[in-house]
Amino acid sequence: MAQATSRSDSRRDASDVVVETRNLSKVYRDFWGRSKKTALKPLDLDVRRGEIFGLLGPNGAGKTTTLKLLLGLIFPTSGEALVFGRAATDVSKNERIGYLPEESYLYKFLDAEETLDFYGRLFGLDPDERRRRAAALIEMVGLTRDRKRQLREYSKGMTRRIGVAQALINDPELVILDEPTSGLDPIGTREMKDLIIDLKARGKTVIMCSHLLADVEDVCDRIAVLHQGELKELGRVEDLLRVTGVTQIQATGLSPAAAAEVKAVLERHGAADIDIGNPRTTLEDLFLEVVRDTEARPGRRARRTESAAPRAE
Amino acid sequence: MVLEQEIPRFASWIGLAFLQYLAAAGVAAVVAALLTWLAQAIGNGPLAGGDRVYRGVLAGLADILATSPRRVWALARLAIQESLRRNVLVVLAMFALILLFAGWFLDPASVDPRRLYVGFILAATNLLVCLVTLVLAVFSLPADIKSRAIQTVTTKPVRTAEIVLGRIVGFATVGTCLLAIMGLAGWAFVVRSVSHGHVLDAADVFDVTDGDGAVSGAEGRTSLDRGHRHRVVLDGRGGGVAETAHGHRHRITVTGTAASGERTYAVGSPLGLLEARRPLRGRLRFLDREGRPAIKGISVGAEWSYRQYIEGGTAAAAIWTFEGVTPERFPEGLPLEMIVRVFRTYKGNIEDGIHGTIQVRNPTSSLRSESLPIVAREHTIDSLLIPRRINTVMADGSLREVDLFTDLVSDGRIEVWLQCLEPAQYYGVAQADFYLRSGDGSFAVNYAKSCLGIWYSMLICTALGVMFSTFLSGPVALVAALATLLVGQFRDFIARLFTSQVTGDSSIVPGGGPIESLYRIVTQTSITLELDPTPAVQVMKVLDTVLLAPMRLAASIFPSLASLGTSDFVAGGFDIPGDLLAAHGAETFGYVLACFIAGVFCLKAREVAS
Repeated sequence: MAQATSRSDSRRDASDVVVETRNLSKVYRDFWGRSKKTALKPLDLDVRRGEIFGLLGPNGAGKTTTLKLLLGLIFPTSGEALVFGRAATDVSKNERIGYLPEESYLYKFLDAEETLDFYGRLFGLDPDERRRRAAALIEMVGLTRDRKRQLREYSKGMTRRIGVAQALINDPELVILDEPTSGLDPIGTREMKDLIIDLKARGKTVIMCSHLLADVEDVCDRIAVLHQGELKELGRVEDLLRVTGVTQIQATGLSPAAAAEVKAVLERHGAADIDIGNPRTTLEDLFLEVVRDTEARPGRRARRTESAAPRAE
Repeated sequence: MVLEQEIPRFASWIGLAFLQYLAAAGVAAVVAALLTWLAQAIGNGPLAGGDRVYRGVLAGLADILATSPRRVWALARLAIQESLRRNVLVVLAMFALILLFAGWFLDPASVDPRRLYVGFILAATNLLVCLVTLVLAVFSLPADIKSRAIQTVTTKPVRTAEIVLGRIVGFATVGTCLLAIMGLAGWAFVVRSVSHGHVLDAADVFDVTDGDGAVSGAEGRTSLDRGHRHRVVLDGRGGGVAETAHGHRHRITVTGTAASGERTYAVGSPLGLLEARRPLRGRLRFLDREGRPAIKGISVGAEWSYRQYIEGGTAAAAIWTFEGVTPERFPEGLPLEMIVRVFRTYKGNIEDGIHGTIQVRNPTSSLRSESLPIVAREHTIDSLLIPRRINTVMADGSLREVDLFTDLVSDGRIEVWLQCLEPAQYYGVAQADFYLRSGDGSFAVNYAKSCLGIWYSMLICTALGVMFSTFLSGPVALVAALATLLVGQFRDFIARLFTSQVTGDSSIVPGGGPIESLYRIVTQTSITLELDPTPAVQVMKVLDTVLLAPMRLAASIFPSLASLGTSDFVAGGFDIPGDLLAAHGAETFGYVLACFIAGVFCLKAREVAS
């Protein structure tokens, strides 16, 4: 019975894994086959259904390379990437994926409606469905008034928004966003983050990469920090930002005289809303620490345990 | 028109052509696989390299087999939209400009206006359509890769085969629309340009009387228009024809009588100018000056051996044997049409043609008709109706009237003998120069058939452009495609040059291969001069052979757009044979398929996002 339960859990776990990479690496070579740049060192990752997974790292860390490998846009030097259990180079997986590239690489000679119609056709949507989805998405991204303008006339923010719309035209199960808030103003950034959270609420899995720390911190459930093509940190945002070995006491309504007292003293003085726990650092601090640490001591960084993660790496 | 090779029946041609195609495609595929394996083996080892090639081939084939027409059309629509937004229609304005300038510069007084106008318009259409689709095709995919728009396409459920085929279909659709518009405009331009009239004034018409002094008709001449006038022959009622000049004639009718009592005439539109003759061609053989069978006629020293010559005033003859000659097909007799070239060893009266005779003979009984006189005029198609009732020469030299089909045709076969009567003058003929006109097709349909030939060329340009663009940048792909077409254009020459090099027979192509040619240029040695067989010359010849071998291979598989062209038929006034169009269609399909498959594998092997 115990064995059966274990197998069932294992199957559920396996079906929950949307993206899986094993020893995935990428080395760019020149014409003569000589190694030019190691973009990604062997990477092991699992992304589970329904979560928002962030790839974080400075420019050139290997974030976009990882996404391109997952999408089959480039071929791995070694290892493998599986998406929905299929090889990343298997075109059929794309039926369930929506992808927003870093700079919304779209056809500038099309207008918004034509763009969505074109991508809808690639998914084999029938004409009525294409029209319905295109209208809804154009309204959702706030381009109704500009839907007949060619994309060459769009501002960067508008291009970004139509890029999001094309990524969602097939109502994907997995949404891959490369720098989703890049080029957006604060309001647009907020709307984008709301959209990502909404996608999660609708059961979608989201993988996003960004170097904007606040964006990642705000929306991601789990993150992987990459630097110089290597995985440096992986885990739940909550866990990664918790500072262990330090106890933080927070209180409200506490008089200055009692500030020197420890918890027992506070209770004796009748203070309310006493909170004892681990203080948090910010993601920005963590990020900078990783970068500094890597530069000071090149090589693989000792990882934290993913204590609160649903499944250990 | 020149027809250097006989047009085979499609049904008998396609089998061997298909086998040759399979062999060439097989060799090309094996060579490509070996090169890929070699490249992979260097980086990954021979086994892993082989495994990658094997997987790549399987994935490519699976890709091609799983191609979705809906996605292909979606990508084709994108290519069409791209072309339109990039103002491809400007080419129509360019074509309109060409027509305007053509109206200024083409001489309507030309001896052969149909050849001039049809040839020019079809050549301009061909050039513009092929060039536009080629440029569109070579720059589109590299631009997508450069702008990375390809990434948003390849991350959709789109197969590589669909990307390649979608572009071919899209740009071919654009080319087809351009061709349709240019074809229609060109046809209207040709019809309007060659159309003309003449005036027949009563003052230019003179009565003709018979032996009794009665007026039997009239003769005269039309006004001089477009550089020519016609001799007019009228019957007793005043109607008649303006005889053939500049390849056409006119019908003349009486429209009334003027106040002065003279008749007024109307000259109709040109007849025989826009036609599509359907020839029944025969096989040609020769007799030498003693009347003995000869494989060839006489070479008069011209470099081009298309036409062979027979000597005048001797027993030399050119004999055509026609098959399928039946009274049902030719109820009025045999409408023989011929082009006879002349080689003069003395000038004589240059205004007069060279006299000769035509006879028809029964190939079995050797019964022959009396000699029918002809006068060979250069550059014109002469016609001669051999009547149903015709005099034959009996053994005693007497004449007896016989029925053409009963007595001179044997099992549908009949011979036509041509002889030149003037000593020391020569007639030059080729097999295609004599034919029986078995009917006429529509000029408009024939023109459309020629546009179909242009369409084939356009398809090959498009497929070739897309194929090169899958692995080269736009400008390089354009150069590669043009170079391929250029080599294809000279494929016959390269084949002959290679044969000449291998057999050592310098008469096939004098001057040798590339290195020998360079040597001759530098040393200013004539191509007709044999080089001394020194060791250096021998080495040079061996190197030439080595260099020519891959060129010969490339030339045998590269497309020749010139061979797909059929404008000569239309310009010459001949119907384009269906067998020829079908063969060209099959050839085009073969090239497009090969380019498509090659394009799929090249693009699939490429990291479009790297």
